Amino acid sequence: MQPILSFRNVSKRYANGAHALEDITLDIRPGEFVSVIGPSGSGKSTLLRLVNRLIPATSGHVILDGRDMARLRGADLRAQRRKVGMVFQNYNLVHRLSVFQNALHGRLGHLGGLRGLLGLYAEADKRRAFDLLVSLGLGAFCYARAGELSGGQKQRVGIARAIMQDPKILLCDEPIASLDPASAKTIMETLRDETRRRNLACVVNLHQLDVARAYSTRIVGLRQGRLVFDGAPDALDAAALARIYGPGHVPAAAPEEAAHAS
Amino acid sequence: MPPDRALPEAVRAERRAYALFFGALLLVVALCTWGVAFNPFELFGKGDAFWTFLSEDFWPPRIPQREGRLEAILAGIGVTFAMAVASATVAAVLAFLVALFASERVSPFPRLAPLVRGAATFVRNIPALVWAFILFSSLGIGTGVGFVALTLSSLAFLVRAFAETMEDLSQDGLESLLAIGATFPQRVAHGILPSCLGGFVSWYLYSLEVNIRASAVVGMVGGGGIGLVLFSYIKAFNYHVAFFIILLIAALVIAVDWMTGRLRKELAL
Repeated sequence: MQPILSFRNVSKRYANGAHALEDITLDIRPGEFVSVIGPSGSGKSTLLRLVNRLIPATSGHVILDGRDMARLRGADLRAQRRKVGMVFQNYNLVHRLSVFQNALHGRLGHLGGLRGLLGLYAEADKRRAFDLLVSLGLGAFCYARAGELSGGQKQRVGIARAIMQDPKILLCDEPIASLDPASAKTIMETLRDETRRRNLACVVNLHQLDVARAYSTRIVGLRQGRLVFDGAPDALDAAALARIYGPGHVPAAAPEEAAHAS
Repeated sequence: MPPDRALPEAVRAERRAYALFFGALLLVVALCTWGVAFNPFELFGKGDAFWTFLSEDFWPPRIPQREGRLEAILAGIGVTFAMAVASATVAAVLAFLVALFASERVSPFPRLAPLVRGAATFVRNIPALVWAFILFSSLGIGTGVGFVALTLSSLAFLVRAFAETMEDLSQDGLESLLAIGATFPQRVAHGILPSCLGGFVSWYLYSLEVNIRASAVVGMVGGGGIGLVLFSYIKAFNYHVAFFIILLIAALVIAVDWMTGRLRKELAL
């Protein structure tokens, strides 16, 4: 199967000289659920933001759905971004708008001109957004302000927004870092189910090893901007963990997280 | 009371700093008073003339009896109010558009943002009254020119206020709209506007309040409205009617302050 996303020798250097990523080469195919693990500052967040060019790469090629992101401008860039649904650690909702409106934001990239400016969404889109929110257990909150929801609910709205884009790939930047274990479980299951049902590719940055092991089809380990592990969850042994986190720094498993490794 | 040297060094340093500050302040005030050749005690010494003027010439306020005079005054109040509302509103709409380019976090051309802010700061630091004089000299007098002067000064003020409101907005909500593939106008309409509207309206109401006062002053130098009417009565030595007009202006200012104050309080909730 053709990869939906390819990194070819991608490096990112920030203006202050810090190397965020070094020579990353990686292919991701539809249906894959890839967890990216690594210590803080290892470049996980940068890696995701290179995909839709929220951060531009310094060198190398990021190829999304057959197109090199570096060359795109204006409308072409926005068209590529539409294909990428993004889920954030801080949910990144517009708090003063309703849950329904936040979910519909996923369609903004598909609306042009005046319709997009005024938010005149198609009737079919509205129906779909409503059904999606109901299926995510948010039916009762459609008209609540997004700012009034709990963390887990906000993240489900974030997922609904990403799915409304009809994306080809989901990028999730620490989606459960700010959530309690029960909400985290719901979010991870939702991400896995939606990825399977829609045959998407899903790339998730995670700090929780057990969660990564439980949900992923593949795990990628970063250390100081370099790719030091790429393989199946079973292959993530003590030696691999030591390469990723450094000897003696492997994070301990929290009991709650171990509980939903089923 | 323990002797002074028992006090901690920090406390003594603070006392010295205060003593120095107030000593310097006294010196500066003395120099300034000498500079303006004004003795602050003169007001009490020669105060009689001043108090007589207030109590005899101004007091009591009088409503003009001649046909059409009162109507003219009320019309002047109406013009002043209209000038303030129109200029604040036009300025707010323009300021919103300009402010989008004055904030590095929002503008599609972040490098130009300091330039836009600098221009706004420059215009803002010239008071409305000075703008009025500049404009009257070049365009002639009238309410239209007064309106332009008020719009200019509120525009510059609101650009700054709106840009700061947008800077306070968390970057997170905007990043998600960028990731969705939304255009700049879409990000403004669906991210910035809903998040900042409360702040914008609050600043708009404040600017309306300021403009009511400013439009009375701008009116006096040729902007029309109640300021011009007041000035004509003062020039005609008709101080009783002038006092009546001053009370009317005060009532208008208080009414608008009260109203905008209430609205802003509601918005803060």
